[in-house]
Amino acid sequence: MPDGAAKRSDDQPLAELRAILLGPDRVAWESMRQRLDNPSRRAEDVASVLAEAVRLRSRGTSDLKLRRALQPLLEEALQLSVRSNPRMLADALFPIFGKAIRKAIASELDGMLQSLTQTLEQSFSWRSLQWRWESLTTGKPYAEIVVLRSLLYRVEQVFLIHRSSGLLLQHVAAYSVPAAETRDPEMVSGMLTALQDFSRDSISGAGSEPLENFRLGEVEVVLAYGPQAILAGFVRGVPPRKLNRVFQNALDTIEQKKAEALQAFSGDTSPFDTCRPQLEACLLGRGQPDQRRSTSWGARALLFGLPALLLLALAGWWIYTAANERRWTDFAQRLEREPGILLTHTEKRGSKFYISGLRDPLAADPASLLPAGLPSNAAEFHFEQYISLVPRFAAERRLAELKDQVEKRSFRFMTASADVPPEQRFLLEDVGSQMISLIQAAAALGRTIQIQVRGNHDPVGTEQVNATLSRSRAENVRAALVTLGVPAARLAAIPEDLEKETCSAVVEEERMFCRSATFHVLEPRP
Amino acid sequence: MTEWKKKICMVGQFGVGKTSLVRRFVDSMFDERYLTTIGVKIDRKNVTVGSDSVTLMLWDLAGEDDLAQLKVSHLRGASGYILVVDGCRASSLGKAVELQTRIVDQLGPLPFVLALNKADLRDRWEVQSAAVAELGWPKFETSAKAGAGVEEMFLALAGKLLE
Repeated sequence: MPDGAAKRSDDQPLAELRAILLGPDRVAWESMRQRLDNPSRRAEDVASVLAEAVRLRSRGTSDLKLRRALQPLLEEALQLSVRSNPRMLADALFPIFGKAIRKAIASELDGMLQSLTQTLEQSFSWRSLQWRWESLTTGKPYAEIVVLRSLLYRVEQVFLIHRSSGLLLQHVAAYSVPAAETRDPEMVSGMLTALQDFSRDSISGAGSEPLENFRLGEVEVVLAYGPQAILAGFVRGVPPRKLNRVFQNALDTIEQKKAEALQAFSGDTSPFDTCRPQLEACLLGRGQPDQRRSTSWGARALLFGLPALLLLALAGWWIYTAANERRWTDFAQRLEREPGILLTHTEKRGSKFYISGLRDPLAADPASLLPAGLPSNAAEFHFEQYISLVPRFAAERRLAELKDQVEKRSFRFMTASADVPPEQRFLLEDVGSQMISLIQAAAALGRTIQIQVRGNHDPVGTEQVNATLSRSRAENVRAALVTLGVPAARLAAIPEDLEKETCSAVVEEERMFCRSATFHVLEPRP
Repeated sequence: MTEWKKKICMVGQFGVGKTSLVRRFVDSMFDERYLTTIGVKIDRKNVTVGSDSVTLMLWDLAGEDDLAQLKVSHLRGASGYILVVDGCRASSLGKAVELQTRIVDQLGPLPFVLALNKADLRDRWEVQSAAVAELGWPKFETSAKAGAGVEEMFLALAGKLLE
């Protein structure tokens, strides 16, 4: 028997034994061998447990091997991703960064605007020079000095609050704040935290944004946030925008120094006693707003009183001018109603009032019509004369005309005679009718006139004869006129006054004019 | 002597007497209207446990009913809580069990006590003592009206918080 055949016959029972003992397992082993040899099957197997394996490995916080192994891979993968498609990462990060960047820019702009306004207001003042000097001598930045000295505010209380539980870790209050006002800071800190939750939960769109500063009447609550703690300040007055930065810096320092204590906080606040200096550094402010208010009373009075006085004076002047203007307008209207006056133009120029127009000579004098409140030297009249057709003026003019006519008439007498010569008797009727017209015209105007008949004589002859002649001439003419219908009561015969030299004629032709009877109309003043 | 501060939440169904429980036994500063407006009111209770002094900051959360849901955000940072049940209302126990499950889901296990309130109206109780005992929770029968059991409950909870 060849060797190979002998060996095969030896193996046969072994193989059979193997088949009996390991038969079912061999199939499984075969399958496992195939899975191990086949890389794609192996990958599938690992994939199915990979997530669970990583989770199990990462559960133990002390084992950092997996993290360390993954770190370079992740960094490289991120770099590759950014290089190949930066947009994807930008899109993914935008919701986080975009909001934060927007907020930071807005806050920065806001602060810049406020500081710019302040700087403009203060850059050239005496105060700003003082601050610059203080900045130079103390070595503090000018901006900080401005914050400290310029705005009227005072940080009255500062609360360091544990962020998740709302428990008060530390609290400081300004010395000047009365104890009654620092009402239970423990509860205030809790309520502040509750308010945070409330605002976050109830204002849609607020997302995870924390509550920013808010104002309650005179007090503004300034808030700064850290991962573990909140720093809150009650500020009376108007805090500068930079105060938030002061709070944030103080909180960052505390978070850094007390990171472990904050992380492990379970109700014991004693580790935070050492934070008091940081909190006290936040009790900024300048004086007491109320005191400043009282000390600057004079300035306030000047600031508000002066314009008020000016306004008052302006109002007074305006009222006076309006009243004066009104008086002039009333006066102009009164003139327009006056018969015989026509106004063509009225104007106020400076302190004078100019009135121009037409005026009948018989009309009243405008200056005499000025009311008591208007000084006559403030009025300037320019009137052209005209004839008005007002009936009263027409009657006046007629009366004056008749009076003139009557006074022009006279009768002549022969030497040593008191009789009206026959050639003049026809004139008596004419004069008589003129006198009747005159008396009627006067009566129409409500006046009673008297007409004197004056008897005259020449210089020749004795005084006694002349006196008799004068009286007789007047009486004769009067009697003749009464006979013609002129009311006797209106006529009076008056002899010439002998004391007075009335006629100095020398030639006979001239003397004739002296031997006369003339008329004089007496008119009582209306 | 160490001073501790702990945040405690009062939770329970609407109208079980949470506010009444704290009203007479704690220092209050805020109006009860806060409960209806912002859903929470904060009060303080000082207790002494052994040589330690514990300041319990009590967050009285607006009661849960069909319309209002308990805001879990208010529970953040709490060291423990008081589940309040109205002995006269069986449904309030069911609500307490439900709240307990939700709180454990959100915050993990925390020390708590059950206040079985309105002990002064025991003859009208609907809640069966057996049902409460079955839960195996630390239980205090309290009466906000008569004042019974309240101090003990706060003390017990403070003790558990310091364990």
